[in-house]
Amino acid sequence: MLSSTRLVRAVLPRVHRVPLARCLNTNAPENDTPKTTSFGFRTVPESEKETLVKNVFDSVASSSLGVHRLWKDNLISTLHVAGGTGDIALRILDHAREKYADRETTVEVVDINAQMLKEGFRRFKKTMYHNTPQISFHEANAQELPPSQFLDNTYDLYTIAFGIRNCTSIPDVLKEAHRVLKPGGTFACLEFSKVNNPLLSLAYDQYSFTMIPLMGTILAGDRESYQYLVESIRKFPPQPQFAKMIREAGFTTGEDEDGGAWTDLWGGIACIHKAVKV
Amino acid sequence: MSSSLRLLKLALPLVSEHGFTRTALANSVLHLPVPHAEPLSDSAVSALFGSGDRARKTLIHAWLDGGLESMSSTESVKDALHARLKYNEPVVSLLPEAFALLSAPESGVPPLDPLPMLKHSARIADEACHVSQDASLRLAWYTKRASLIGIYSAAELHQLTSPSTAPAFLDSLLATSNSIGSSLSEVLEFSSYVGRSWAGIIRSRGIF
Repeated sequence: MLSSTRLVRAVLPRVHRVPLARCLNTNAPENDTPKTTSFGFRTVPESEKETLVKNVFDSVASSSLGVHRLWKDNLISTLHVAGGTGDIALRILDHAREKYADRETTVEVVDINAQMLKEGFRRFKKTMYHNTPQISFHEANAQELPPSQFLDNTYDLYTIAFGIRNCTSIPDVLKEAHRVLKPGGTFACLEFSKVNNPLLSLAYDQYSFTMIPLMGTILAGDRESYQYLVESIRKFPPQPQFAKMIREAGFTTGEDEDGGAWTDLWGGIACIHKAVKV
Repeated sequence: MSSSLRLLKLALPLVSEHGFTRTALANSVLHLPVPHAEPLSDSAVSALFGSGDRARKTLIHAWLDGGLESMSSTESVKDALHARLKYNEPVVSLLPEAFALLSAPESGVPPLDPLPMLKHSARIADEACHVSQDASLRLAWYTKRASLIGIYSAAELHQLTSPSTAPAFLDSLLATSNSIGSSLSEVLEFSSYVGRSWAGIIRSRGIF
């Protein structure tokens, strides 16, 4: 029995020290004219994006429509973790414990938003992982992870879920992910993406731009934040383009097709991009 | 070339040692110009090549593509097919399982999928015609390739059970095919002469 458990742990994927990154910000270089970036369909100065994104997540920190959890369940088998309120960090630790009897896996949760981290910390206090080395929370910018705290070539798995589209500079996030991953480490990103089926795309657009902001108004009293969420999804690069960005950061991916460099979920409403640092 | 293809190429020489397995793919990074300290993790192999048996199928397809490349340096159909059989030799014992994996459908229905193996033989036949600069047109294009598909499939099947006699078996099949081909064309030509003779006789009798 003990030897079979050891065999399973030896052949199945192990997760050690996984960082989670969420909201990002860049400071415009002092000598240049202010750079602009997108905030949903709006163009805003880069220096303002962080504040705007923080405001959005302060608003939604304690709420969740729950639909994305269905996709997160798909991640557990691949040992992926999302940022935010520690949802997926908890699932990864539970998965490691229940499936592989692994109590050595550690997850490091990184977020630029202190409110989100507090929410995650509070959630973890109800679990067996609180006050253990398996979970820790750090406030940091995913575009510029402090090198003294997040060393080069350290982590086996880097995941980001529903967060990278809020980042000012996606290439910088990818570069940092590449830096901190060990050779052979896996990068995984769960994000809303492009629906390629025309009929589904039409229905999805209708739902996104009418129902979601309306539900945000009714449930949270904040239409603008939910409008931003919907618009930011449309601004995010489609699957092949994002896979190319991942490769440009130095990663190796599978072929540019569904089931290769990415896996579409629900026709592309969400998508998991995976890559390896070789 | 994408980097995952680069790792696939590095994994091919490892097939004889590790088989068509995820281990071969994982160990490919040990043969990089700057090798990794340890093989890829299972999740990394899944991320690059697919989960479960999909990764193994990816490796098998890459190996089959390598087989086509091994034929490119030849100039005749016979040499091309011999080169392809020779490519099989280091991994002959692994091929039955590899072909079975390719033929196993992902959904389970139908219980066996013959298309991958047909495609495998068809690609080899087409490559053999290409390297020999075959100039067949129309129906002859298809019959030539169909004939080579049958010949190569039979030779490869023979190789799985008796590797040492496979080259001689291939030669005998090619010789038989050539003699059948020439006999068939002679029969067709003789038949056309007979037909024309009868047409002439009938016209001379004034029947039509």
